[in-house]
Amino acid sequence: MTNRNRILSSTAERAYWLGRYLERADSTARLVRVNSRLLYDLPKRLPLAWQGLVNITGSRELFDELFDEPSEKNVARYLINDARNPGSLIQSLDNARENVRTLRGIIPRGSVEYINEAHLYAKEQLSEPLSRSRRAEGLDEIQSFIQRIEGFMSANMLHDAHWTFLRLGNFIERADMTSRILEVGCEDIFEAASELEPFNDIQWRSVLLSLDATQSYNQVVQGPVSQEAVLEFLVHNTQLPRSLAYSLKSLRNSVRDLPRNEKVLRVINRLRRQTGALVVEKLDIEGIETFLDDFQGELASIDTEINRTYFQYKPRRRPRT
Amino acid sequence: MTIDWRAYETHGFWDELITANGRARKGAGNLTRMLAELSDEELAARRTAAELAIRSMGITFTVYTGEGSGSIDREWPFDIIPRLIMKKEWDTVSEGLAQRVKALNRFINDIYHDQKIFDDDVLPREYIENSKEFREECRGISPPEGVWSHVCGSDLVRDADGQMYVLEDNLRVPSGVSYMLENREVMKRVFPELFEDYVIHPVDDYPNQLAACLRSLSPKRSPQIAVLTPGIFNSAYYEHAYLANAMAAQLVEGSDLVVDKDDKVYMRTIEGFVQVDVIYRRIDDLFMDPEVFHPDSALGVPGLMRAWRAGNVALANAPGCGVADDKVIYTYVPDIIRYYLNEEPLLPNVPSYRCVDKEERDYVLDNLDKLVVKPANESGGYGMLIGPKASKAERDKFARQILANPRNYMAQPMLLLSTAPTLVDAPNQPGGIAEGRHLDLRPFILSGKKTYVTTGGLTRVALRKGSTVVNSSQGGGSKDTWVVDLE
Repeated sequence: MTNRNRILSSTAERAYWLGRYLERADSTARLVRVNSRLLYDLPKRLPLAWQGLVNITGSRELFDELFDEPSEKNVARYLINDARNPGSLIQSLDNARENVRTLRGIIPRGSVEYINEAHLYAKEQLSEPLSRSRRAEGLDEIQSFIQRIEGFMSANMLHDAHWTFLRLGNFIERADMTSRILEVGCEDIFEAASELEPFNDIQWRSVLLSLDATQSYNQVVQGPVSQEAVLEFLVHNTQLPRSLAYSLKSLRNSVRDLPRNEKVLRVINRLRRQTGALVVEKLDIEGIETFLDDFQGELASIDTEINRTYFQYKPRRRPRT
Repeated sequence: MTIDWRAYETHGFWDELITANGRARKGAGNLTRMLAELSDEELAARRTAAELAIRSMGITFTVYTGEGSGSIDREWPFDIIPRLIMKKEWDTVSEGLAQRVKALNRFINDIYHDQKIFDDDVLPREYIENSKEFREECRGISPPEGVWSHVCGSDLVRDADGQMYVLEDNLRVPSGVSYMLENREVMKRVFPELFEDYVIHPVDDYPNQLAACLRSLSPKRSPQIAVLTPGIFNSAYYEHAYLANAMAAQLVEGSDLVVDKDDKVYMRTIEGFVQVDVIYRRIDDLFMDPEVFHPDSALGVPGLMRAWRAGNVALANAPGCGVADDKVIYTYVPDIIRYYLNEEPLLPNVPSYRCVDKEERDYVLDNLDKLVVKPANESGGYGMLIGPKASKAERDKFARQILANPRNYMAQPMLLLSTAPTLVDAPNQPGGIAEGRHLDLRPFILSGKKTYVTTGGLTRVALRKGSTVVNSSQGGGSKDTWVVDLE
């Protein structure tokens, strides 16, 4: 009787961005939460350590414009509840909320309610300056909101193309975040610290923590934390949900479910080949940094291709009859 | 304390449940008895249950909070005491509505074709030529079945004598039907036991009927149907989404649609462009197509009128149908029914005065303190003068407006709108007390290949004491409407 349900480009696009903003909110909360614990150990004379968190979000210029120094207080405020930072936790939740408003009827009600609640909670409870314990508690709560939001979606929503686009948004954002965290791992902001005995592996421990990957690392690598082993693990391991290889594999699998996917698949597979060909032990830090730069550029190409194929294509030109 | 019907005052109004001497009206006995048996705590619990149901079902309406500050979603204000209408009465009303809408559709079709009604001197030609809602662009177009207003919402009121009158017809983009449907859902959750005692006619067939009506507008066997909404900031967005969902139709905004060089309408999907055959549009005519109307409208679809004229897409309601929505045209509806159908109207109009007529205008100007004056083309209760409640200055201002543009005004005696018991907050009584509040009724009439009238409709209540303004944007709420059979 009725036509089968079509997926509008506009709602697919909003699902995609919902996926991106939720993932971004989650990784921002994790970044601040886990690194705080690590950074508390550092001697006070190493304020630059907090700078690393800003660098991961790729918005150092904006931060420098808004604040005089990368103190704990400033960085936490900037990343958590500063509306002037478009990548802050509060802005990601706000954007997620805006996107979900027009996805009512597609996203399960439970998820919608938790998105609204998470936003409200962040606005009311995560207003910096906060004590370290309040901040940690609040970020924990945000992450648990996001777990519930995603849990509802995973268990209750139709796993149709909207779901696929939501996941695409998740994986693109996740791959992007992992590559940024690795990039900052390669920077030398911890240099001063690493000369001190208890901190010599701190930058790579921080990288693992930022991705909640310490436990998995210990299971798989079964050795000390080293630059090479961490890079190898986070780039190539196909079982770790936040590794580059895993995100790319998931991207490809999701796109396979979509119609008209040839061009998008081509760009994804190109990046998979490039990533697979990376031999960590043969490269110096600069080589790794170049690879990560290129990787982010390629992710942007995937995003562009998704956009061009599914969201913003132009009316076809028909031959005149 | 519980509800004490002996203490309930009808204040000289017709009350839908209770007679002037404090007895339950025919058919309302079971309901009033059950309500009186509830303790204050139980009553409070039911009210809370209704509020919770409305919240968890996400039933909202959007209120504009003013320039720049945007809008907020409010929960739908709902009173748990239903309004009852006997099936026998409803059958007559329903027949009258179908007759009315049939005649109005014939009228609109005539206006855009031969205009015989002017030649036969039933209605002066200049009324249409001066109407804001007349669309020259629609002349000569023949929509399927000759139907222009596929979804009509007519407002009915009951006067002190118990007679139902048609107060106005909303032929353009009437809203409220989703609340009619949701009200019933809420009642089933709150008072399931009442559904044992009464034979209440269901209302939930409406989305199917609407879908069937829309399908009948396309020659295709299974046409692609879309609901065109202005977007999430529109006050009726909730309803647009609700209906699209219930009909398994596509909810689209203007930016989702494209009219291609072949004059067909397509929606942008992830599979590419898919042709749309029928559009249930919930945006105003003037915003529908920037190529023809407001050039700066971002809500519309460039080329939509072109596609419609070419017969490649059906638009419900058709552009231009607002010409019969005019409050001055309203005064002619009984004549319109006689003219096109050769029948006597089954439902009376509220007696009205046309300000364009010298004699009637003089009467209106002399009696402004007793009359309600309405502009021809406003809806939502805006721009009206309620004479008995207005100040001298307001009345004088209206008198000047009427003299400056008599064509734009009509007046009606102040009706004594009927009331129904409504729970209102009272000190130390969480369940509240029952007081009479004024109400109206908006049934919906579908016209396609067939005609369908909702069972009852949306009952809107003016929640403020003494008020007769039922619009949700101005302090109105609603009640479930039960059309009941007595066994």
